[in-house]
Formats: sequence, C-alpha cells, structure tokens
Amino acid sequence: MLPFSIALRPGEPVVDQVVYAVTRAVVSGQLRSGDRFPSVRTLSQELKVNPNTAQRIVALLVEAGLLAVEPGIGTVVTKHPQAGGSSAAASRRADLAALPDRLAEPLVVEARRLGLGLADLVDIVRARWKALDTSR
Amino acid sequence: MDYAIETEALTCRYGRKCAVDQLTMHVPVGSIYALLGPNGAGKTTTLKTLMNLRPPAIGTARVLGVDSRSLGPADLARIGYVSENQRIPSNLTIGEVEAFCRPWYPTWDAALATELRDRFGLDPRARIKALSRGTRLKVQCLLALAPRPRLLILDEPFSGLDPVVRDDLTTGVLSLADRDGWSVLLTSHEMDDVERLADHVGFLNDGRLVVEEPMAALLGRFRRVEVALADGAAVPAQRPSSWLGFAVEGRAVRYVESQAGPAAEAAWHAAFPGATIEASRMSLREVFVALTRSTAPAAVPGRSR
Repeated sequence: MLPFSIALRPGEPVVDQVVYAVTRAVVSGQLRSGDRFPSVRTLSQELKVNPNTAQRIVALLVEAGLLAVEPGIGTVVTKHPQAGGSSAAASRRADLAALPDRLAEPLVVEARRLGLGLADLVDIVRARWKALDTSR
Repeated sequence: MDYAIETEALTCRYGRKCAVDQLTMHVPVGSIYALLGPNGAGKTTTLKTLMNLRPPAIGTARVLGVDSRSLGPADLARIGYVSENQRIPSNLTIGEVEAFCRPWYPTWDAALATELRDRFGLDPRARIKALSRGTRLKVQCLLALAPRPRLLILDEPFSGLDPVVRDDLTTGVLSLADRDGWSVLLTSHEMDDVERLADHVGFLNDGRLVVEEPMAALLGRFRRVEVALADGAAVPAQRPSSWLGFAVEGRAVRYVESQAGPAAEAAWHAAFPGATIEASRMSLREVFVALTRSTAPAAVPGRSR
C-alpha cells in the first residue's frame, strides 16, 4: 500500500498527478519528515505505471526538496520541505512567483463568474486550509 | 542494439488482402511500447510475424537483433509471448504445464514462478480445460514471465478481463521491470491501462503505421478545442490540416488540435477573432478515437493499393 492517497485520472499527466498527491500528503501531514518513501519499483507496481514514469516522479520530488535519498535506507521524506538546498530554495522562489498567475487568477476569475464576493472566496479558501489540517 | 524490435517495410498478406502494409516500427530497449489501432488494423498479424509464426511477404523484422525468420529456440527462450491464439494442452494441470515448459528455459526462475502463482491465485492441481478465460490468461502470463524474458510480446493480454485480474497481470508484468534492457510490446484496447503503462505508442490503421512517438509527446500535442463564436462571426472555409473532427453547432465550434503549441494557439485566435476559446488535454482513449476517425481509409483521399 502507498503511504499517500491518490486516484489516477486518465487525460492528465501521471507525473503531475502523483507529484501533486505527494505534495498534498506532505503539506497535510499524511507523510511526515523521516517517513520512508516507496521505491521506484513499488511505486510502479502499486500505481500500475511505467517504471520510467515512476523514476521521473521520484527524481522530481527529490529536486523539489520533498524527498531525499538516504544512503543505505532509500528515499525518505525530508525534514524541512520549505528549506532544502539552494536549488530547492530557487525552485520555491519560482513557484512563489508563479502562484498569483497560475493558481490565484483562475480562482478569482471563477469566483467572479459565479458572482461571489471577495469575502466569500476568502471563506472558501479558509475552509480548505482548515480541512487540510484536520485530514492529518 | 538500441531497439528490441525494428521492422523495415514489413508487409504481410492474406491472399490478396494486405494486412500489414510497409510497416517500419522501432521498439526502444527498456520501453513499454503499445501498438494500438482499431480492430482489423493488423496488430495481431504484426506480432505473429515478429514471433516467426508467419513469414512476411516483403520487408524484414529484427527481434532482439535477430531476423524474425531465423529465430531459433535459444532466441525464443528469451522472448515471452502471450496471445489468445496460443494453445495449452487442456488435459494437463497447471503444475504439469509448468513442469513441461521449465526445461526449455535456461533462465527459468522457480521462485518467481511460485510468487506469480500465489499472486494470481493459481492452484497447480487445477486442469487447464476447467479454467475460465481469465485464469487461463494468468497461466499464460506465468509461463511467459517465469523465464524472466528480455522481451515480452503481449497480444491483448487484458481483453475481456475484470479489473482485478487486469491489475494482477499488470503487477506481474511490472515485477520484471527492474532488469536492465527489458522491453515490452503489447496490444490492447484498454486505453486507461495503456495510458499509464506504456511510454511509447505506435498507432496502426488499415495496416499502416500512422503514428509512432513517446506517449508524453503524443498526449502533449493533442487538445480538444471548444470555441464559442463571437456575434455574427463566420467559420473559416480554409482550416489547418492539424484540425481533426471539425464540427459546428450554432455558435459552438469543436475540433481536435493534433499539433498543440504556441503556433497552433495563434492560429486558433486568428481563425476565430473575438471568440472564447478553451483547450483541454485529452486522454489516450480520446486521442485513439480522433486518430482512428481521421486516419480511416475513407478519410484519406487517394489511398488505394
């Protein structure tokens, strides 16, 4: 069994879906620092995905600073996903810069289309923020 | 050798009917390659020719570096082949069939055979003739996987099986994956399974290979485009050839873009000034339908042979 929740949907890149699911699990506390992460082989067999895809998923998560390779142990969840190395810090800055355009704007557009006010939208975001905490 | 399988202008005929027409395909070593296509496209004939079960009319196929017509027992011992056309002696038990096959394969892995038998829930005392179709396919997979082949050729391994059996078989196939230089060629209509499993795709229609590329590249270049026309706007008479399945209903225009990218996007906006345009990614199932419709013999003018 995998230590994070995921249900793959066709039509979206598998890599993106799994990276998102793992990120979500780390942020919500379903995966904690020091937890062992499944091997490429296990990931491939459990998700029924191509081994090369599983390899890329692990590589991307290591690059993002969420996982680290511990010699003799395997891949583990890192202690401080926010900090990490210098490359992780750089990618965090890039992600942060992209946040308003990539994620916040579609949310605002959709809220306006539905005729919601700013306060309604903030309420929705606040509720999701709490839901992620209670899913621990 | 960079390719587990390579064919050049491979052509197969049944009498006057051309089942496979100048097929040139390449299965990279280490890949899981899905050969897709509608029924009757020539997939099974291609696989049979690769396994030297029938000779090509013209052209060549090299399998693990060997010409398909010279594949001998030592070569075939490195290839696992699963097809519904295969026959297993029906009076034997699963255990007896295993014992019969084992001596032919120097690389037979008894521990793996036991592991697969347990995973598939196979009883060695059960007789082949008493087995359901799904269980018989499991036996075939066990026999194909236990020798730890360098190449697996699977002809519709999942067809008509329930999701649990499909999952079991997929896990069995993937359990071989940590071997270097291990490759798989499979045909299937289970598009959702294939989308996750394969990293290379070949698409056959009417005996011809119309697409061969990495899965990510194929899914990356297809978009379903939905256009809401601006008031009084007309639909362009001239349309790029990369637009497939173009349809208009009132103010709604729908088509499939097969060359998605910045240039294609610019072309959409140039064709529909002032319109609302939405593009979304497509599943392999949707890409399959679009490819099948757009490359059917009737859809391609001037194609005859």
